[in-house]
Parts: sequence; C-alpha cells; structure tokens
Amino acid sequence: MEELISKLKQEVIQQLNLEDIKPEDIDSDSPLFGEGLGLDSIDALELIVLLEKNYGLKIEDPKDGKKIFHSIRTMAEYITEHKKS
Amino acid sequence: MPVRVFVTGLGIISGIGKDLNEHVTSLYHSRPGISDIRFLDTHLKGEIPVSEVKCSDEELFGMTGVSSHEAYSRNSLLGIIAAREAWDHAKLGTRKKRRTGLISATTVGGMDQCEKYYQEFLKGDSYNDFIEIYDCADSTEKIARQLGITGFRTTISTACSSAANAILFGARLIRDGYLDRVVAGGTESLTIFHMNGFNALKILDKQPCRPFDANRSGITLGEGAAYIIIESEEAAREDAPEFIAELAGYGNACEAFHQTASSPDGQGAWLAMKKALETAGIEPGQIDYINAHGTGTDNNDLSEGIAIQRLFGEHIPPVSSTKPFTGHTTSAAGSTEAILSILSLKHQMIWPNLNFRDPMPELSFTPVKELITDVPVNYVMSNSFGFGGNDTSLIFKKVKQE
Repeated sequence: MEELISKLKQEVIQQLNLEDIKPEDIDSDSPLFGEGLGLDSIDALELIVLLEKNYGLKIEDPKDGKKIFHSIRTMAEYITEHKKS
Repeated sequence: MPVRVFVTGLGIISGIGKDLNEHVTSLYHSRPGISDIRFLDTHLKGEIPVSEVKCSDEELFGMTGVSSHEAYSRNSLLGIIAAREAWDHAKLGTRKKRRTGLISATTVGGMDQCEKYYQEFLKGDSYNDFIEIYDCADSTEKIARQLGITGFRTTISTACSSAANAILFGARLIRDGYLDRVVAGGTESLTIFHMNGFNALKILDKQPCRPFDANRSGITLGEGAAYIIIESEEAAREDAPEFIAELAGYGNACEAFHQTASSPDGQGAWLAMKKALETAGIEPGQIDYINAHGTGTDNNDLSEGIAIQRLFGEHIPPVSSTKPFTGHTTSAAGSTEAILSILSLKHQMIWPNLNFRDPMPELSFTPVKELITDVPVNYVMSNSFGFGGNDTSLIFKKVKQE
C-alpha cells in the first residue's frame, strides 16, 4: 500500500502539472480538494483520466469520484480493491 | 497595452450536470443531456426532445436555499446556482472587495412562472407576485441580491448571442477601467412560450440535434445557466486563487440580414470571428479548436460553415458543436459554451460533435466525431450567433502556470 501511495503522489503531480509540489509535500490523508492540496472540482477529471490510463479503472459517476478522490490513501484503497490482477 | 482580462471562476448548470465537475465527466464520457420532456408542462411532451436540467423547481429552491414562497422563477434559480458556483470558485467571498458588476443575459426573465399563473390572474384582477416578475431584468436582480452585488448590474437580451455579449461587455468595462471584476454569463429556463415559438418556425428536430450533418433537421432546445468571473490582471494578480484562462479576444457584428435567418455567405459570422482574432492579436492558424454555434438548422450550419471556410481557408482547426450535449440553451448558450471551451483548454481535450454521421456536401470540413485527448489546445474560439444576425465570437487562451 505504501509503495502504491508514493507512486500515486508522483502520478498526481505529473497529471495535474503541479510543478511546485514534491511528493513528500502531499499528506496521504489530507483532502485533495479544497483546503488540503487545493485542487478544484474540475481537476477531478484529471484524476479520472489518471485511473483510466494507468490502472484501467473507469469511474463514470461523479458522485463516486467524491469518495474515491478524497485523499491519496482513498485513491490507493480503491485501486487495490478494484484492480484486476 | 490594453488591460489583460483573466477568467478566475466558473459556474454552470445544464442538462449534463448540476456543477462543473458533473459537466467535465459528462463531456469526457460523451453523455448527452437530451431526453424526453419531463419537467416542462407542454403539449410537445413526447414529441420533441429537449435537454432539461434534471431537477424540479422544488429541488432548485432547495439547492439555492431560497424559500419556495418567494417569487423566484426557475430561470432565476438556475442563474443563482451557476453564478454562486462561479463566485465561490473565484473565492470572491473572502478576497479583497473591488468594483464588481453583474452582467446577466436572458430572454426568459420570469416568464416561466407567469405562464403558470397567467390564466388565473386574468380571471380575477388581484395582485400576483409571479406576474410582477415577468421582465428579463428580474432574474438579474434576484441573482445580484443572492450574491450581494450592489454595484453595476445589467441584463443583455440579444437572442442566442446574449451570454457571449455579456462576457464581451464585461471585458470592455474592465478594459476601459469602469470595473475590476464582472460576473458575466446568462440563464435560460425552458418555457412554453419559446418552445412554441421555435416550433412555429418549424426548426425543432424530432430527434436529438445533429449539427453539421447533411441530414440535420433543426434545433434541440435546452436550459441552463453559466457564469464566469472575469477580472483585470491587476485584481487577479493580487489575490485570485487561480488563473483559469485569459479572455484574449472578442468580436461582435450585426449583419441584420433577416429576422431569423443568417446570410448565405456568413458575413456576420465572418466579421465577428475576424474581429475576435484582431483583438487577440493572433492569426487564424493559431486557433486550436472552434466551439461552433452549430445549432443543427439547415441555415445556421451552412452559413457558419461557409464563414469558417472563408476565414480559415485550407487550414481549418478541429470544429465541434456541443449542442448535442446541452441542447441549445439560447440566451445562456454563449456562456455555457464559453465554459466548455475553457474546459477544453484546461484539460487539453476537444469535445466531440455527437450525432454526426454524414458530411455536408457544401462544406470542405467535417466536425470532430470523437473525444480527442492529449492534444495541445492553446487558443479556443467560441461562436454564438443570434436572430437578427447578432453574431459574437470569443477567444480564450490557455494560461501558463504564473
């Protein structure tokens, strides 16, 4: 899980072009949106694209996205649970 | 050097979503908002599809927090929801106070409620709150009241180019130093009046609209509201949370060719697009995507297509109409599509022109059929053309991380 979390941090930075942020700046449990990493609601699409491109997971309902994209850890948990081995 | 104008907030509600996030996911998954009529009480139910906001009036009252005993039209409620999302997106509630205006486009105003109460009103001659809110400016005042905007407020009603003109006018007020920030956009709920009006013109498609298709057969109406926050570079640099895009250029022309038809050579459209390129200071070849007006009528798509060919020659950028997603939201179409164009810049994606099958024999180009991802999009042109030949073109530019 920890390995996936640190990989995800790098991927999120790359997908969202967060040039000034380093993986270690992102707290695994802090909210990605709003006060945490400060992403806004339209950035969610970039996270949907990331899961689709890198993990083959499709999220079609924006409401599911709110839970899955709460933090890096919730994303990692979702990937672990749903990724076909 | 003219003042640069930046977009710092977006808010939108339409048939494909109740907020920005739902819009980007619907666009990404090619999910249109067009279906049978559910909420509007009309004899056209089951005959003509539309793109309705999938909420009853009661649900919209709930979303705005306004009491349903107050005289608010569906049109005003949609406007409040979208304008408030844009306001919060730009964090205007907590930033330094500056001269802020509201320019809201609409034709419906409070008409949707008057339709419900008119017959009853005629029978008695008693006072009725809902008849009093008929005028276009009523929805603008209601939005201003909810957002607490007490400065400059105005309503623009130039048919289907209204909301693009609201953005254009806002940009000019900022450039000329009258205002620092403007909430600009439009709102339009479906009404019996304009459904019947377009139906009488015989330009409503019985199937979901098919812009730029050889077999296109008219418009699919939609409803919604969309507002953007635009501000001067100085205001944005001081404390804006994000520079989402730059409003680089704009142009308006009124060809006055016919009450409801565009000219065969697309003169008004051509002039508007040309002026927009000039104010942006760029060449046609720099446009990466045209979000067309593309209504799906015989007349518009031919006239607009010819104007695009005249201006862009052999190098026509990807073109699509997003009206098969949202329907034609008439007075709100200009700002709805401005936001979809800005989302194209933000995500570097080009939205497809759904329902397209057969090329128009008169045109040298065909619209984008499927979602294009990972494509460089630096400049987007968004076209909005209105009855009477009132044509507007806006150009948005991607902002590098600054």
